[in-house]
Amino acid sequence: MSATVTAVSLVGAVAPVTRRVRAYFAPVNREAGAPTLFDASQMGTFALSSPPSPWMDLGWCSKFARKSASKIGALTTGAPAVVQSQVVTQVEATVELEFESWGKLQLALAAGSQQMNLLRTATGAAANGSGGVAAKAVPLVPGSTASSLSVGATAVAQFQVGELVAVDEDYVAQTGFVGSGVSAAYVSSPASVANDINYIRRVTLNVGRVVGIANGALQLGSALLAGAPPSGMQVSPLMGFVDREGGGFFQEWSGLFVMDGEQGDRVIYHYPRLQAMQGAAEMVETLAGPLEKVKLAGAFRALPVKDANDGETVLCFRSYLPGAMRAV
Amino acid sequence: MQNARDTFYVTLRDRLAAVNPARTIVLRGVTRPGVLVEENELASATVPVNAFCLRWTGLSVDALAALPLATMTCEISYATDGDSGNGGMDRGRLLSGMDAELVSAVSAAPQNVTKMNYVGAAGGSGLAPVAMGTNVFWGDAAFGAAVVNGERLERVATVVVFCYQEAGEL
Repeated sequence: MSATVTAVSLVGAVAPVTRRVRAYFAPVNREAGAPTLFDASQMGTFALSSPPSPWMDLGWCSKFARKSASKIGALTTGAPAVVQSQVVTQVEATVELEFESWGKLQLALAAGSQQMNLLRTATGAAANGSGGVAAKAVPLVPGSTASSLSVGATAVAQFQVGELVAVDEDYVAQTGFVGSGVSAAYVSSPASVANDINYIRRVTLNVGRVVGIANGALQLGSALLAGAPPSGMQVSPLMGFVDREGGGFFQEWSGLFVMDGEQGDRVIYHYPRLQAMQGAAEMVETLAGPLEKVKLAGAFRALPVKDANDGETVLCFRSYLPGAMRAV
Repeated sequence: MQNARDTFYVTLRDRLAAVNPARTIVLRGVTRPGVLVEENELASATVPVNAFCLRWTGLSVDALAALPLATMTCEISYATDGDSGNGGMDRGRLLSGMDAELVSAVSAAPQNVTKMNYVGAAGGSGLAPVAMGTNVFWGDAAFGAAVVNGERLERVATVVVFCYQEAGEL
Protein backbone atom coordinates (compact mmCIF):
# COMPACT_ATOMS: atom_id res chain seq x y z
CA MET A 1 0.00 0.00 0.00
CA SER A 2 1.10 3.57 -0.61
CA ALA A 3 2.80 5.50 2.15
CA THR A 4 1.03 8.71 1.24
CA VAL A 5 -2.42 9.84 2.28
CA THR A 6 -3.85 12.53 0.04
CA ALA A 7 -6.83 14.61 0.96
CA VAL A 8 -9.18 15.81 -1.76
CA SER A 9 -8.29 19.23 -3.05
CA LEU A 10 -8.37 21.03 -6.34
CA VAL A 11 -6.69 18.88 -8.96
CA GLY A 12 -5.13 19.88 -12.22
CA ALA A 13 -7.25 20.22 -15.33
CA VAL A 14 -6.22 17.58 -17.82
CA ALA A 15 -7.35 16.95 -21.36
CA PRO A 16 -10.53 14.87 -21.50
CA VAL A 17 -9.89 11.20 -22.08
CA THR A 18 -12.81 9.52 -23.76
CA ARG A 19 -13.44 6.24 -25.53
CA ARG A 20 -16.51 6.78 -27.68
CA VAL A 21 -19.34 9.08 -28.66
CA ARG A 22 -23.02 8.67 -27.94
CA ALA A 23 -25.43 10.24 -30.40
CA TYR A 24 -28.97 11.52 -29.90
CA PHE A 25 -31.47 13.20 -32.10
CA ALA A 26 -34.64 15.20 -31.71
CA PRO A 27 -37.16 16.41 -34.23
CA VAL A 28 -37.19 19.80 -35.84
CA ASN A 29 -40.59 21.37 -36.37
CA ARG A 30 -40.23 21.96 -40.07
CA GLU A 31 -43.42 23.96 -40.43
CA ALA A 32 -42.38 26.41 -37.77
CA GLY A 33 -38.66 26.12 -38.42
CA ALA A 34 -38.14 25.40 -34.74
CA PRO A 35 -35.37 23.01 -33.71
CA THR A 36 -35.16 21.18 -30.40
CA LEU A 37 -32.74 23.12 -28.21
CA PHE A 38 -30.57 21.42 -25.64
CA ASP A 39 -29.65 23.43 -22.58
CA ALA A 40 -26.50 21.89 -21.17
CA SER A 41 -26.83 24.00 -18.04
CA GLN A 42 -30.11 22.27 -17.22
CA MET A 43 -29.80 18.84 -18.78
CA GLY A 44 -26.09 18.36 -19.44
CA THR A 45 -25.53 15.69 -16.82
CA PHE A 46 -28.18 13.26 -18.00
CA ALA A 47 -27.50 9.53 -17.87
CA LEU A 48 -26.41 8.43 -21.33
CA SER A 49 -28.94 5.61 -21.45
CA SER A 50 -31.89 7.85 -20.58
CA PRO A 51 -31.73 11.15 -22.45
CA PRO A 52 -34.18 13.89 -21.56
CA SER A 53 -37.32 14.07 -23.67
CA PRO A 54 -37.66 14.54 -26.61
CA TRP A 55 -34.10 13.41 -27.35
CA MET A 56 -33.81 9.88 -28.69
CA ASP A 57 -30.85 7.59 -28.34
CA LEU A 58 -29.02 6.61 -31.53
CA GLY A 59 -26.41 4.56 -29.71
CA TRP A 60 -22.64 4.61 -29.89
CA CYS A 61 -20.79 6.09 -32.81
CA SER A 62 -17.26 5.84 -34.04
CA LYS A 63 -15.03 8.01 -36.19
CA PHE A 64 -16.84 11.11 -35.04
CA ALA A 65 -15.32 14.09 -36.78
CA ARG A 66 -16.61 17.61 -36.65
CA LYS A 67 -15.15 20.08 -39.07
CA SER A 68 -15.43 23.81 -39.11
CA ALA A 69 -15.48 25.31 -42.57
CA SER A 70 -15.95 28.80 -41.18
CA LYS A 71 -13.60 31.33 -42.65
CA ILE A 72 -12.11 34.39 -41.12
CA GLY A 73 -10.75 37.01 -43.46
CA ALA A 74 -8.59 40.04 -43.00
CA LEU A 75 -9.97 43.51 -43.60
CA THR A 76 -7.20 45.60 -45.04
CA THR A 77 -6.95 49.28 -45.83
CA GLY A 78 -4.32 51.62 -47.11
CA ALA A 79 -1.45 51.28 -49.52
CA PRO A 80 0.36 49.20 -48.76
CA ALA A 81 -2.60 47.28 -47.41
CA VAL A 82 -2.45 46.66 -43.71
CA VAL A 83 -4.72 44.40 -41.77
CA GLN A 84 -6.94 46.60 -39.70
CA SER A 85 -9.36 44.03 -38.40
CA GLN A 86 -10.77 40.60 -39.01
CA VAL A 87 -14.14 39.62 -40.31
CA VAL A 88 -16.05 36.35 -40.45
CA THR A 89 -16.59 35.73 -44.14
CA GLN A 90 -18.29 32.35 -43.99
CA VAL A 91 -19.86 30.20 -41.30
CA GLU A 92 -20.15 26.51 -42.02
CA ALA A 93 -19.77 23.28 -40.07
CA THR A 94 -20.07 19.59 -40.88
CA VAL A 95 -20.16 16.40 -38.84
CA GLU A 96 -19.19 12.90 -39.90
CA LEU A 97 -19.60 9.66 -38.01
CA GLU A 98 -20.30 5.97 -38.29
CA PHE A 99 -23.20 4.46 -36.40
CA GLU A 100 -22.39 1.32 -34.44
CA SER A 101 -25.99 0.12 -34.70
CA TRP A 102 -28.60 -0.09 -37.43
CA GLY A 103 -32.15 0.98 -36.85
CA LYS A 104 -34.86 3.08 -38.40
CA LEU A 105 -33.55 6.29 -36.89
CA GLN A 106 -29.93 5.67 -37.84
CA LEU A 107 -30.97 4.74 -41.35
CA ALA A 108 -33.13 7.82 -41.61
CA LEU A 109 -30.38 10.15 -40.51
CA ALA A 110 -27.89 8.63 -42.90
CA ALA A 111 -30.26 8.26 -45.84
CA GLY A 112 -29.79 11.66 -47.39
CA SER A 113 -33.42 11.87 -48.41
CA GLN A 114 -36.68 10.12 -47.50
CA GLN A 115 -36.22 6.95 -45.46
CA MET A 116 -39.16 4.78 -46.44
CA ASN A 117 -40.92 1.78 -45.02
CA LEU A 118 -41.35 -1.39 -47.07
CA LEU A 119 -45.03 -1.78 -46.37
CA ARG A 120 -46.58 -5.19 -46.85
CA THR A 121 -47.96 -5.13 -50.35
CA ALA A 122 -51.44 -5.90 -51.54
CA THR A 123 -51.94 -9.26 -53.16
CA GLY A 124 -50.78 -9.13 -56.75
CA ALA A 125 -49.20 -5.70 -56.45
CA ALA A 126 -46.79 -4.80 -59.22
CA ALA A 127 -43.14 -4.73 -58.24
CA ASN A 128 -41.70 -1.33 -57.32
CA GLY A 129 -38.30 -0.31 -56.00
CA SER A 130 -39.56 1.30 -52.82
CA GLY A 131 -42.39 -1.18 -52.38
CA GLY A 132 -45.52 -1.86 -54.38
CA VAL A 133 -49.06 -0.81 -53.59
CA ALA A 134 -49.54 -1.45 -49.90
CA ALA A 135 -52.06 -3.77 -48.34
CA LYS A 136 -55.04 -2.22 -46.64
CA ALA A 137 -54.09 -0.67 -43.33
CA VAL A 138 -55.78 -1.54 -40.06
CA PRO A 139 -57.54 1.29 -38.21
CA LEU A 140 -56.88 1.91 -34.54
CA VAL A 141 -59.73 1.74 -32.08
CA PRO A 142 -59.94 3.84 -28.90
CA GLY A 143 -57.54 2.94 -26.11
CA SER A 144 -54.21 3.02 -27.86
CA THR A 145 -51.10 4.34 -26.17
CA ALA A 146 -47.57 5.01 -27.37
CA SER A 147 -46.63 1.39 -26.78
CA SER A 148 -49.95 -0.41 -27.13
CA LEU A 149 -52.01 -0.28 -30.31
CA SER A 150 -55.64 -1.27 -29.96
CA VAL A 151 -56.93 -2.68 -33.21
CA GLY A 152 -59.77 -4.86 -31.96
CA ALA A 153 -60.21 -8.57 -31.44
CA THR A 154 -60.87 -9.33 -35.10
CA ALA A 155 -58.16 -7.26 -36.74
CA VAL A 156 -55.51 -8.33 -34.27
CA ALA A 157 -55.48 -11.76 -35.93
CA GLN A 158 -53.81 -10.17 -38.95
CA PHE A 159 -50.66 -9.49 -36.95
CA GLN A 160 -47.93 -11.66 -35.54
CA VAL A 161 -45.47 -11.17 -32.74
CA GLY A 162 -42.20 -9.96 -34.18
CA GLU A 163 -43.70 -7.89 -36.98
CA LEU A 164 -42.77 -4.32 -37.68
CA VAL A 165 -45.57 -1.79 -38.03
CA ALA A 166 -45.91 1.78 -39.21
CA VAL A 167 -48.48 3.96 -37.49
CA ASP A 168 -49.65 7.20 -39.03
CA GLU A 169 -52.54 9.01 -40.57
CA ASP A 170 -53.98 8.42 -44.02
CA TYR A 171 -52.84 10.51 -46.91
CA VAL A 172 -55.82 12.57 -47.97
CA ALA A 173 -54.39 15.28 -50.20
CA GLN A 174 -52.15 16.90 -47.61
CA THR A 175 -49.35 19.03 -48.99
CA GLY A 176 -46.22 20.15 -47.22
CA PHE A 177 -44.33 18.24 -44.58
CA VAL A 178 -45.89 14.93 -43.59
CA GLY A 179 -45.14 12.37 -40.91
CA SER A 180 -46.05 12.23 -37.24
CA GLY A 181 -43.38 13.11 -34.70
CA VAL A 182 -40.76 13.87 -37.34
CA SER A 183 -41.32 15.38 -40.75
CA ALA A 184 -40.46 12.45 -42.96
CA ALA A 185 -41.12 13.88 -46.41
CA TYR A 186 -42.45 16.88 -48.26
CA VAL A 187 -45.42 16.45 -50.55
CA SER A 188 -45.81 19.07 -53.23
CA SER A 189 -49.12 17.81 -54.60
CA PRO A 190 -51.43 14.81 -54.24
CA ALA A 191 -50.62 13.80 -57.78
CA SER A 192 -46.93 13.55 -56.97
CA VAL A 193 -47.65 10.72 -54.55
CA ALA A 194 -50.40 9.23 -56.69
CA ASN A 195 -52.93 10.03 -53.98
CA ASP A 196 -51.65 6.95 -52.17
CA ILE A 197 -53.63 6.62 -48.94
CA ASN A 198 -50.62 4.83 -47.41
CA TYR A 199 -48.01 7.40 -48.45
CA ILE A 200 -47.53 8.89 -45.00
CA ARG A 201 -47.17 5.43 -43.46
CA ARG A 202 -44.71 4.68 -46.24
CA VAL A 203 -42.39 7.47 -45.11
CA THR A 204 -43.17 7.86 -41.43
CA LEU A 205 -40.57 7.39 -38.71
CA ASN A 206 -43.38 6.44 -36.35
CA VAL A 207 -42.65 2.72 -36.40
CA GLY A 208 -42.47 -0.07 -33.84
CA ARG A 209 -41.95 -3.79 -33.32
CA VAL A 210 -44.80 -5.98 -32.07
CA VAL A 211 -43.57 -7.92 -29.06
CA GLY A 212 -46.89 -9.17 -27.76
CA ILE A 213 -50.53 -9.50 -28.72
CA ALA A 214 -53.27 -9.55 -26.14
CA ASN A 215 -56.84 -8.38 -25.70
CA GLY A 216 -57.11 -6.95 -29.19
CA ALA A 217 -53.98 -4.84 -28.81
CA LEU A 218 -50.47 -4.94 -30.22
CA GLN A 219 -47.80 -4.41 -27.58
CA LEU A 220 -44.77 -2.63 -28.96
CA GLY A 221 -41.18 -3.13 -27.87
CA SER A 222 -40.69 0.59 -27.42
CA ALA A 223 -42.84 3.68 -27.42
CA LEU A 224 -43.77 5.28 -30.71
CA LEU A 225 -41.74 8.32 -31.57
CA ALA A 226 -44.88 10.47 -31.93
CA GLY A 227 -46.42 9.29 -28.68
CA ALA A 228 -49.96 8.03 -28.23
CA PRO A 229 -51.62 7.87 -31.66
CA PRO A 230 -54.77 9.95 -32.05
CA SER A 231 -57.91 8.45 -33.51
CA GLY A 232 -57.87 8.21 -37.26
CA MET A 233 -54.43 6.73 -37.49
CA GLN A 234 -53.96 3.32 -39.04
CA VAL A 235 -51.42 0.55 -38.74
CA SER A 236 -49.55 -1.04 -41.63
CA PRO A 237 -47.28 -4.05 -41.28
CA LEU A 238 -43.90 -3.55 -42.91
CA MET A 239 -41.03 -5.77 -43.91
CA GLY A 240 -38.13 -3.37 -43.46
CA PHE A 241 -36.78 -0.08 -44.67
CA VAL A 242 -35.61 1.37 -47.95
CA ASP A 243 -33.91 4.55 -49.02
CA ARG A 244 -32.91 5.74 -52.42
CA GLU A 245 -30.01 7.36 -54.13
CA GLY A 246 -31.61 10.48 -55.44
CA GLY A 247 -34.55 12.49 -54.26
CA GLY A 248 -34.62 16.11 -53.38
CA PHE A 249 -35.95 16.09 -49.82
CA PHE A 250 -33.61 17.08 -47.02
CA GLN A 251 -34.51 15.63 -43.68
CA GLU A 252 -33.57 17.79 -40.75
CA TRP A 253 -33.00 17.00 -37.09
CA SER A 254 -31.46 18.41 -33.98
CA GLY A 255 -28.34 16.46 -33.10
CA LEU A 256 -26.53 15.90 -29.86
CA PHE A 257 -23.20 14.14 -29.44
CA VAL A 258 -21.80 13.36 -26.01
CA MET A 259 -18.31 12.30 -25.01
CA ASP A 260 -17.97 11.18 -21.42
CA GLY A 261 -14.49 11.74 -20.02
CA GLU A 262 -12.89 9.21 -17.74
CA GLN A 263 -12.36 11.87 -15.06
CA GLY A 264 -16.05 12.67 -14.73
CA ASP A 265 -15.91 15.43 -17.31
CA ARG A 266 -18.22 15.65 -20.30
CA VAL A 267 -18.07 17.26 -23.72
CA ILE A 268 -21.36 17.92 -25.51
CA TYR A 269 -21.80 19.00 -29.10
CA HIS A 270 -25.25 20.34 -29.85
CA TYR A 271 -26.21 20.99 -33.44
CA PRO A 272 -29.75 22.43 -33.42
CA ARG A 273 -30.20 21.87 -37.16
CA LEU A 274 -28.52 19.09 -39.09
CA GLN A 275 -29.19 17.90 -42.60
CA ALA A 276 -27.57 14.97 -44.36
CA MET A 277 -25.06 16.13 -46.92
CA GLN A 278 -24.42 12.86 -48.69
CA GLY A 279 -26.44 9.94 -49.98
CA ALA A 280 -26.69 6.65 -48.17
CA ALA A 281 -23.25 5.17 -47.59
CA GLU A 282 -21.69 2.40 -45.58
CA MET A 283 -18.23 1.74 -44.22
CA VAL A 284 -16.95 -1.80 -44.09
CA GLU A 285 -14.81 -2.97 -41.24
CA THR A 286 -13.08 -6.31 -41.59
CA LEU A 287 -13.61 -8.64 -38.66
CA ALA A 288 -11.76 -11.80 -39.68
CA GLY A 289 -11.46 -13.73 -42.87
CA PRO A 290 -14.43 -12.94 -45.08
CA LEU A 291 -16.46 -11.46 -42.26
CA GLU A 292 -17.03 -7.74 -42.39
CA LYS A 293 -19.01 -5.38 -40.21
CA VAL A 294 -21.04 -2.87 -42.19
CA LYS A 295 -21.56 0.46 -40.49
CA LEU A 296 -23.84 3.27 -41.56
CA ALA A 297 -21.83 6.31 -42.50
CA GLY A 298 -23.37 9.69 -41.97
CA ALA A 299 -22.21 13.12 -43.02
CA PHE A 300 -24.20 16.14 -42.01
CA ARG A 301 -24.15 19.87 -42.57
CA ALA A 302 -25.19 22.20 -39.79
CA LEU A 303 -27.68 24.98 -40.43
CA PRO A 304 -27.89 28.13 -38.36
CA VAL A 305 -30.03 29.23 -35.46
CA LYS A 306 -30.13 32.46 -33.52
CA ASP A 307 -28.82 32.35 -29.97
CA ALA A 308 -31.50 33.97 -27.85
CA ASN A 309 -28.88 35.39 -25.51
CA ASP A 310 -27.33 37.75 -28.01
CA GLY A 311 -28.82 37.14 -31.42
CA GLU A 312 -25.64 35.66 -32.87
CA THR A 313 -25.96 33.20 -35.75
CA VAL A 314 -24.71 29.84 -34.53
CA LEU A 315 -24.27 26.37 -35.99
CA CYS A 316 -23.06 24.37 -33.02
CA PHE A 317 -22.81 24.70 -29.28
CA ARG A 318 -19.88 22.89 -27.65
CA SER A 319 -20.31 22.53 -23.91
CA TYR A 320 -17.71 21.31 -21.45
CA LEU A 321 -18.73 20.15 -18.00
CA PRO A 322 -15.55 19.70 -15.95
CA GLY A 323 -15.21 16.88 -13.48
CA ALA A 324 -15.57 17.61 -9.78
CA MET A 325 -12.84 19.65 -8.10
CA ARG A 326 -10.96 20.32 -11.32
CA ALA A 327 -9.03 23.52 -11.77
CA VAL A 328 -10.67 25.74 -14.35
CA MET B 1 0.51 4.44 -8.72
CA GLN B 2 -0.05 2.14 -5.77
CA ASN B 3 -3.36 3.74 -4.90
CA ALA B 4 -4.51 3.14 -8.47
CA ARG B 5 -3.37 -0.47 -8.35
CA ASP B 6 -5.18 -1.04 -5.09
CA THR B 7 -8.29 0.65 -6.45
CA PHE B 8 -8.30 -1.38 -9.63
CA TYR B 9 -7.84 -4.60 -7.69
CA VAL B 10 -10.66 -3.84 -5.26
CA THR B 11 -12.96 -2.81 -8.11
CA LEU B 12 -12.20 -5.91 -10.11
CA ARG B 13 -12.54 -8.13 -7.05
CA ASP B 14 -15.94 -6.69 -6.17
CA ARG B 15 -17.21 -6.91 -9.73
CA LEU B 16 -16.04 -10.50 -10.17
CA ALA B 17 -17.59 -11.44 -6.85
CA ALA B 18 -20.87 -9.95 -8.00
CA VAL B 19 -20.75 -11.79 -11.32
CA ASN B 20 -20.01 -15.14 -9.68
CA PRO B 21 -20.22 -15.14 -5.88
CA ALA B 22 -19.36 -18.83 -5.88
CA ARG B 23 -15.86 -18.21 -7.17
CA THR B 24 -13.90 -18.12 -3.95
CA ILE B 25 -10.44 -19.07 -2.84
CA VAL B 26 -9.08 -20.08 0.55
CA LEU B 27 -5.94 -18.10 1.24
CA ARG B 28 -4.07 -18.34 4.50
CA GLY B 29 -7.12 -19.93 6.01
CA VAL B 30 -9.53 -17.23 4.89
CA THR B 31 -12.22 -17.74 2.29
CA ARG B 32 -12.39 -14.72 -0.02
CA PRO B 33 -13.34 -13.86 -3.61
CA GLY B 34 -11.22 -15.71 -6.13
CA VAL B 35 -9.01 -12.76 -7.03
CA LEU B 36 -5.57 -11.99 -5.69
CA VAL B 37 -2.63 -9.75 -6.43
CA GLU B 38 0.46 -11.87 -6.76
CA GLU B 39 2.88 -9.33 -5.23
CA ASN B 40 0.69 -8.94 -2.15
CA GLU B 41 0.79 -12.62 -1.25
CA LEU B 42 3.46 -14.93 0.06
CA ALA B 43 5.86 -16.07 -2.59
CA SER B 44 4.73 -19.45 -3.76
CA ALA B 45 5.46 -21.81 -6.60
CA THR B 46 1.84 -22.93 -6.62
CA VAL B 47 -0.38 -21.59 -9.34
CA PRO B 48 -3.85 -21.10 -7.91
CA VAL B 49 -6.55 -22.60 -10.07
CA ASN B 50 -10.10 -21.35 -10.55
CA ALA B 51 -8.98 -17.91 -9.42
CA PHE B 52 -7.76 -14.72 -11.06
CA CYS B 53 -4.20 -13.76 -10.28
CA LEU B 54 -3.19 -10.14 -10.96
CA ARG B 55 0.38 -9.22 -11.81
CA TRP B 56 1.50 -5.65 -12.47
CA THR B 57 4.01 -5.50 -15.27
CA GLY B 58 4.48 -2.52 -17.60
CA LEU B 59 4.60 1.10 -16.50
CA SER B 60 5.07 4.37 -18.33
CA VAL B 61 4.46 7.93 -17.23
CA ASP B 62 3.58 10.91 -19.40
CA ALA B 63 4.52 14.02 -17.48
CA LEU B 64 3.49 16.62 -20.06
CA ALA B 65 0.03 17.44 -18.73
CA ALA B 66 -1.09 19.22 -15.60
CA LEU B 67 -0.97 15.86 -13.85
CA PRO B 68 1.38 13.02 -14.80
CA LEU B 69 -0.52 10.24 -16.54
CA ALA B 70 0.62 6.76 -15.54
CA THR B 71 -0.06 3.83 -17.84
CA MET B 72 0.20 0.45 -16.17
CA THR B 73 -0.18 -3.04 -17.53
CA CYS B 74 -2.03 -5.59 -15.47
CA GLU B 75 -1.71 -9.23 -16.44
CA ILE B 76 -4.51 -11.41 -15.18
CA SER B 77 -3.71 -15.10 -15.29
CA TYR B 78 -6.16 -17.86 -14.55
CA ALA B 79 -6.27 -21.58 -14.91
CA THR B 80 -8.52 -24.53 -14.36
CA ASP B 81 -8.12 -28.27 -14.12
CA GLY B 82 -11.79 -28.84 -14.69
CA ASP B 83 -14.09 -30.44 -12.18
CA SER B 84 -12.83 -33.67 -10.70
CA GLY B 85 -16.35 -35.03 -10.65
CA ASN B 86 -16.36 -34.75 -14.40
CA GLY B 87 -12.89 -36.13 -14.78
CA GLY B 88 -11.64 -32.69 -15.81
CA MET B 89 -13.51 -33.01 -19.08
CA ASP B 90 -15.28 -29.72 -18.44
CA ARG B 91 -12.06 -27.70 -18.21
CA GLY B 92 -12.79 -25.91 -21.48
CA ARG B 93 -16.20 -24.85 -20.25
CA LEU B 94 -14.80 -23.68 -16.93
CA LEU B 95 -12.10 -21.63 -18.65
CA SER B 96 -14.74 -20.17 -20.93
CA GLY B 97 -16.77 -19.26 -17.87
CA MET B 98 -13.80 -17.44 -16.37
CA ASP B 99 -13.29 -15.62 -19.69
CA ALA B 100 -16.88 -14.43 -19.56
CA GLU B 101 -16.62 -13.35 -15.93
CA LEU B 102 -13.56 -11.28 -16.73
CA VAL B 103 -15.24 -9.66 -19.72
CA SER B 104 -18.22 -8.75 -17.56
CA ALA B 105 -16.08 -7.29 -14.83
CA VAL B 106 -13.61 -5.37 -16.95
CA SER B 107 -15.85 -4.13 -19.75
CA ALA B 108 -18.90 -3.18 -17.70
CA ALA B 109 -19.62 0.53 -17.76
CA PRO B 110 -18.30 2.64 -16.29
CA GLN B 111 -14.73 1.61 -16.95
CA ASN B 112 -13.49 4.08 -14.40
CA VAL B 113 -13.72 4.50 -10.66
CA THR B 114 -12.70 7.08 -8.10
CA LYS B 115 -9.15 6.45 -6.96
CA MET B 116 -9.04 5.41 -3.31
CA ASN B 117 -6.30 5.49 -0.75
CA TYR B 118 -6.39 2.31 1.32
CA VAL B 119 -3.41 3.04 3.55
CA GLY B 120 -5.48 3.88 6.57
CA ALA B 121 -7.89 1.07 5.91
CA ALA B 122 -5.22 -1.60 5.65
CA GLY B 123 -4.60 -4.25 8.28
CA GLY B 124 -8.14 -4.40 9.55
CA SER B 125 -8.01 -0.94 11.10
CA GLY B 126 -11.68 -0.41 10.44
CA LEU B 127 -11.01 2.95 8.87
CA ALA B 128 -12.66 3.75 5.61
CA PRO B 129 -10.52 4.29 2.53
CA VAL B 130 -10.08 7.89 1.45
CA ALA B 131 -11.49 9.03 -1.88
CA MET B 132 -9.00 10.93 -3.97
CA GLY B 133 -9.50 13.61 -6.59
CA THR B 134 -9.06 11.68 -9.82
CA ASN B 135 -10.36 8.50 -11.40
CA VAL B 136 -8.64 5.30 -12.34
CA PHE B 137 -9.71 4.11 -15.79
CA TRP B 138 -8.90 1.18 -17.98
CA GLY B 139 -9.35 -0.39 -21.40
CA ASP B 140 -10.87 -3.71 -22.40
CA ALA B 141 -9.16 -6.99 -21.62
CA ALA B 142 -6.91 -8.44 -24.32
CA PHE B 143 -6.98 -12.21 -24.09
CA GLY B 144 -3.96 -14.36 -24.81
CA ALA B 145 -4.17 -17.84 -26.21
CA ALA B 146 -5.39 -20.67 -24.01
CA VAL B 147 -2.37 -22.77 -23.07
CA VAL B 148 -2.59 -26.48 -22.39
CA ASN B 149 -0.35 -27.43 -19.49
CA GLY B 150 -0.88 -31.11 -18.89
CA GLU B 151 -4.51 -31.46 -17.86
CA ARG B 152 -4.63 -27.78 -17.02
CA LEU B 153 -5.92 -24.97 -19.20
CA GLU B 154 -4.39 -21.55 -18.61
CA ARG B 155 -4.85 -18.11 -20.03
CA VAL B 156 -3.40 -14.67 -19.47
CA ALA B 157 -5.47 -11.56 -20.16
CA THR B 158 -4.01 -8.08 -20.18
CA VAL B 159 -5.69 -4.86 -19.13
CA VAL B 160 -4.08 -1.45 -19.48
CA VAL B 161 -4.88 0.72 -16.48
CA PHE B 162 -4.47 4.49 -16.37
CA CYS B 163 -4.26 6.96 -13.51
CA TYR B 164 -3.16 10.48 -12.82
CA GLN B 165 -0.56 11.11 -10.17
CA GLU B 166 -2.01 13.67 -7.85
CA ALA B 167 0.03 16.31 -6.06
CA GLY B 168 1.92 14.73 -3.16
CA GLU B 169 1.02 11.19 -4.11
CA LEU B 170 3.82 8.65 -4.25
